[in-house]
Amino acid sequence: MKRVLRRSTLIFAFTIAFICGMVYFAFQLVMNADDWVDQPYNAHISGSGGLEQAGAILDRNDEVLAQTVDGERVYNESESVRKALLHVVGDNSLNISTAAQSMYRSQLTGYSLIWGLNMPQSLRQSSDLKLTVDAKTCAAAYDALSSYDKKGACVIYNYKTGDVICSVSTKAYDPQAPPEITEENESEYEGVYLDNVLSSSYTPGSIFKIVTAAAAFENIPDIYERTWECSGSEEIGGSDITCVEPHGTVNIEQAMAHSCNIVFAELAVEIGAKKMNETAEKIGLNMSFDVDGVNTIKGHYDVSKANTNQLAWSGVGQYNDEVNPMQMAIICGAIANGGKATNPRLVEGGADSILSAIGINSGKDGREMFNADTAQKLDELMRYTITDYYGDDLFGGLTVCAKTGTGEVGKDKEPNAWMVGYSKDEDCPLAFACVVEDSGFGFTYAGPVVEAAMIQAAKSLGAQAVS
Amino acid sequence: MLDISVIFDIGVVALRMLMPVYAIVIVYQCYAAMRRRRRPEKPLVTLYNPATGLKLPVLFWENSIGRSKSSDVVVDDSAVSRNHCVLLRRKDGWFVTDTGSKSGTYLNGQKTRGRTRVLIDDTITVGNSDFEFKRGEEYDENLRASWFFSRVSNKPAIKSWKLMLLVTIFHFFMCVEAMYWNDGTNIYSPLALFGALAAVEWGFFFVSSFILRRVNFELEALALFLTGTGVMLLVRQVERSAYVQLIAAAIGMVLFCVIIKLIEDPDKVNKLRFPMMILAVGLLLMSIVFGKITNGAANWIYIGSISIQPSELVKIIYIFIGASSLDKLQTSKNLIEFIIFSVICVGLLALMGDFGTALIFFVTFLLIAFMRSGDFKTIILAVAAAAFGVTFVLRFKPYVADRFKAWRHVWEYAQNEGYQQAHVLTFIASGGLFGVGIGNGFLKQVAASESDLVFGLVSEEMGVIVAITLAIAVGALVIYARAITTRSRSTFYSITACCAAGLLVVQLSLNIFGATDILPLTGVTFPFISSGGSSIIACWGLIAFIKAADERTYAVKR
Repeated sequence: MKRVLRRSTLIFAFTIAFICGMVYFAFQLVMNADDWVDQPYNAHISGSGGLEQAGAILDRNDEVLAQTVDGERVYNESESVRKALLHVVGDNSLNISTAAQSMYRSQLTGYSLIWGLNMPQSLRQSSDLKLTVDAKTCAAAYDALSSYDKKGACVIYNYKTGDVICSVSTKAYDPQAPPEITEENESEYEGVYLDNVLSSSYTPGSIFKIVTAAAAFENIPDIYERTWECSGSEEIGGSDITCVEPHGTVNIEQAMAHSCNIVFAELAVEIGAKKMNETAEKIGLNMSFDVDGVNTIKGHYDVSKANTNQLAWSGVGQYNDEVNPMQMAIICGAIANGGKATNPRLVEGGADSILSAIGINSGKDGREMFNADTAQKLDELMRYTITDYYGDDLFGGLTVCAKTGTGEVGKDKEPNAWMVGYSKDEDCPLAFACVVEDSGFGFTYAGPVVEAAMIQAAKSLGAQAVS
Repeated sequence: MLDISVIFDIGVVALRMLMPVYAIVIVYQCYAAMRRRRRPEKPLVTLYNPATGLKLPVLFWENSIGRSKSSDVVVDDSAVSRNHCVLLRRKDGWFVTDTGSKSGTYLNGQKTRGRTRVLIDDTITVGNSDFEFKRGEEYDENLRASWFFSRVSNKPAIKSWKLMLLVTIFHFFMCVEAMYWNDGTNIYSPLALFGALAAVEWGFFFVSSFILRRVNFELEALALFLTGTGVMLLVRQVERSAYVQLIAAAIGMVLFCVIIKLIEDPDKVNKLRFPMMILAVGLLLMSIVFGKITNGAANWIYIGSISIQPSELVKIIYIFIGASSLDKLQTSKNLIEFIIFSVICVGLLALMGDFGTALIFFVTFLLIAFMRSGDFKTIILAVAAAAFGVTFVLRFKPYVADRFKAWRHVWEYAQNEGYQQAHVLTFIASGGLFGVGIGNGFLKQVAASESDLVFGLVSEEMGVIVAITLAIAVGALVIYARAITTRSRSTFYSITACCAAGLLVVQLSLNIFGATDILPLTGVTFPFISSGGSSIIACWGLIAFIKAADERTYAVKR
């Protein structure tokens, strides 16, 4: 019998495995419960049901973007603001999964690990959520952007603090009266649940010349001594690279300002696929950026399998290049910051800002995208683009550096109009990126949106240049 | 400021907070009662060696005598074999059986053949040592009891009927909650179900106490607590299956009594072994031939409107076949017969696609094989063979692996293969510590929530504390089964009890961790709680082994 007793110890092996499993499960539960709860199918919080007791969502100036009044979810009184911030705030459904009302549903509805979602409504405590966005700026951007009736995105963020001031995605609908999407109108609302700022990537076109220029500064020492001859078309790698018009003799600054394809195509080929890939990796084109828990879609740049002609096109943002608006804003912010990116954030408060307020870096350090020297040179190029080509009175006195782009998407669609850049003013350190799909020339379409948004953003921040 | 609705809400919340505490109290009381009313740790008889004057206590119903250090009675004599003989107690007295020793075993100078009866003051001779067979009282030193039974407070255990009352009131509270969260159509149906449940519970209690005249009822009370909780959970889901579950549980209770009666004599069990093997293989073959494929496994057979899962019942037979009494263990060390039987069972289950049950059988095989032989080589060999078999299956039948592709990636497959697990996790988290109330959950709309995913269902509706308490209630059977190992009337009972408890823990683990995506979802049931007639019958059948291992089950009567 003693022997049997001793051998029966083996069942403890399974019992211990069981206990370890339970401990692991408990640990997982404690760590991830709020993520587990926030699912679109979770009927405890979905529908307007969960939001009956939810806290308010405020913008940076405490303007109410969404709140619950007598068990009804009420959004901002201005239709422009409601539509502009649809993708940031969200609606009663959980269809826009990156919106605050989806991402922070559990906090808004008062979820806690101990009580789950079982607290009776009368005892439930909900908390407000303050966002970094400025409602007026978003409305201005939306009004300008939606006038084209195209899909697009406009984002502005403070490259010093990371605050996202403006984030607008079209097309949008009114969260106060969401449309019933049926088979008949579904083409009109195609992709409407996607926040184009965070979750869409586009062919960049000429804005990609910033990256090619960065690679050139780091790999071609005599870049400033060179000039190029542009006759409007040149054969590289068996096929023609074309410009809109012949630019004649240009140096690097003029090539950037006039957006000469031939110069940057030649540069890309000269630098070579390996170095181009290295620069793209350093800038983080193929990676995703974290914006308060939402990961942006990854951009795409990979010329390791490209032939010479494709490599040439990749240098001017064609080939299979793709970038995301938020990502471009971060890259521009990094140039303004002397090479180091600042992580954007959409929510004020929270643990991170408490830590940074007492001077502790939360560990999510920004990415070192450019050498300080390269950043300085890019800054000069982008500044020159504005002063020389577009004129400096565009942004109501703001000192803006920028680059436009026209991303050809082929087939029967018009190109993507892009404008990316930043303002250098001390009291208005904002980086922006704007894209309008299926439109036309970059500056013609993206320019007015950026102008309207930047001027309003500068006013909201109280910048001297616009006062 | 405080209006009526707030006060009412506080009341509902208070009841929900009470339930976890209450569940813990019940489980604690059951186990606390199991520790009490034991015979004191005293030797049953004493072996007195007149040559050395040494007194050796004989503690168990079955004792191995030999030179081996792990023998129950160690004889330090080079003429004695390592496992010389077995001294065992049966209903009609004490017996000694030689287990293939070199020099033989002598009783009063006569060489024994087969099992020979021993009387007080007889002399047993092994090797060069003589032992006089004396009464237990002759041994006057104190003995240490297993920790489970030592240091038990002097307070008398909770009376069985009080324990039953606690259990019934718990189920009544569940009934109240289910009535509160009604959908407006059948407010009183939980009450009817509760009535039926209480009738079965108390009916069983009276049969056990007054017809079978058993003194102890803790194990049954624990099982009733679990069973009833499972039944009450079903009322707001599929009311019909709640009654099916209750009827099956009643059948299980009958089976429980039948098995205890059937294995009353550990020597007669041997005669049943071969017919049982045939029955087990027959049942499994039947599921292959007549089985309908449900959730990828062909383990159900339908007879009219009744569906049964024969593999559940084979579990009981499997454990029954694996164990035997100590003298048989020592004379026939051969595991071949059992290994062949195991390979057939596991093979048939794998053929059905019921990998969860196959795994349970395999682990049970390891337990039985090890408890019988103590041989690590057999275990390692078996694990290696199984690993080889699994690789083989995955290599040549890659679609089998597809069934498990959502494992650890449920959020990526939340709309298809990982649907069930993702919902379980979401709703466990939604339930918090105290649950959202019985009938107020949403996991019940997911397929198999009442069986494979029942851990999630309990967590959502009653809170994760109750769910873990129920799991611990099942898991702690291991501790109880092991604590009574040496107090059993035969190694047959010890082995069956430990293996039954081990099997339940493995099944419990596969169920909980499968539903919560820690292991692949294999579709096995949560013992006693999951809905499923065959499963609940099998669970009651399995704990019959644990009950039988308690020596008081057969000895003490009212």
